[in-house]
Amino acid sequence: MVPHPGHFPALKEIIEVKEAEGLKEVEEVFMGGSPEVMGSGRGVLHAPLIDEIREQTEYAHQHGIKMNIAMNSTCTGGHHLTFEGFKMFKWYFSELNKAGIDGVIVAEPYLVELLRDFPMKTIVSVLSYVDAPQRAKFFEDLGADVITVDTNINRHFELLRGIVKAVNCDIRVIVNEGCLYRCPFRYFHYNLASHLSSLNQPRSPLFAPDFYFDKCTNIRLRDPVQIIKSAWIRPEDIKVYEAIGIKSFKLSGRTKAVNWIIDCMRSYSHRSFKGNLLEILDCPQMLRYMFYIENEKLEGCIEQWKGCKKICNECGYCDALTKEVLTYLK
Amino acid sequence: MKKEISEGRRKLEEELRALVGNIFVPEAKVFGMVCGCVGFAADLRGLQYDDADVFREKISAIMEEISKSVGVEPEFVYARKLPGSEEVVTLTARELCERCKREFAGSKAAPRPDIVVLKKNLK
Repeated sequence: MVPHPGHFPALKEIIEVKEAEGLKEVEEVFMGGSPEVMGSGRGVLHAPLIDEIREQTEYAHQHGIKMNIAMNSTCTGGHHLTFEGFKMFKWYFSELNKAGIDGVIVAEPYLVELLRDFPMKTIVSVLSYVDAPQRAKFFEDLGADVITVDTNINRHFELLRGIVKAVNCDIRVIVNEGCLYRCPFRYFHYNLASHLSSLNQPRSPLFAPDFYFDKCTNIRLRDPVQIIKSAWIRPEDIKVYEAIGIKSFKLSGRTKAVNWIIDCMRSYSHRSFKGNLLEILDCPQMLRYMFYIENEKLEGCIEQWKGCKKICNECGYCDALTKEVLTYLK
Repeated sequence: MKKEISEGRRKLEEELRALVGNIFVPEAKVFGMVCGCVGFAADLRGLQYDDADVFREKISAIMEEISKSVGVEPEFVYARKLPGSEEVVTLTARELCERCKREFAGSKAAPRPDIVVLKKNLK
């Protein structure tokens, strides 16, 4: 599944490249919905109305591509539990369904359940933080058709295997997220993003709207090992996940430039990338100007991470690897 | 340079007011980015996408002129909308690095939905 920034010309260009280059693995795209209904985990740069969603969906379908809408806000301020909110979500889902949308990406369990009344696929967001078979089962029972697992367990193969076995629905992993492993800001950052991308804004202007983003960038600048510990999956390593039964992969980056998205789509479709790995990681993009991580040198590291116990202070593998593969750009 | 930036801010505000109406340009700046791009940017209030679209040529010409006056080759002139709205909050003329020529300005579509491309002068 490939990110779509939201404007129609971008969708056309993504599909044009997919078709011209025969990137058969690209089957779905996703974009944000209307901030008037709900925010999402990323900044909303475009607010498509239902008519535009319908038009874009029809176009995607004509080209054999499924269209999904991300409504993965982690906080609605309780609006969904008001009669007004209930009616609004019900109405919006109904309109998305009429517009031909194939799936809706949600984080809030209440909305997972609400989507049962519609034929669209219910895609559980990475922001539902599904990190164990138990939690996956909960969401499947609520009505999930696809579960995007918490990226924090992208390198916890026992858990991934356990989740695949525990549920019948599809399991999806995000491959190019560069977030800090076990980030202390994660929940709070996404709650903030959920509010800032909706109409449910803070009452006063924020003195530091990028607080969490700045903190996470600073941490990596001071300790680049954290970049290596992040949950990214190299294009070449997708096969390792397929081998444990994961068949669905998602690229993140819907707030990025169209050509960046297309480059990522190419690399992951070809399952091969040469150069600075940071070029294809979603967040934070500015690290690519400071560090160079030679992707080829990471060949085989996945074997270590497959058995990794994540007790970093007793291991030191990633520290040593960082010295080997990461250089500072001048 | 200080004089040209201040003069550019004043000129842009004046010209936009003549074209559209009550426009405010609180800040104008010349910037340099880590990738190698340099540019001239003006924050503004009061301009909407429709206005920018109607006066696309004229606004581009003003931005190009100011940009050249501060030593920036205006290869890519664009407006940035407040996400999810029609309010134009920044006008930028940018001299692009090689990466951004391809990644930011190289697509047929606008690079992002909040960006309105006013003019491309790429060689």
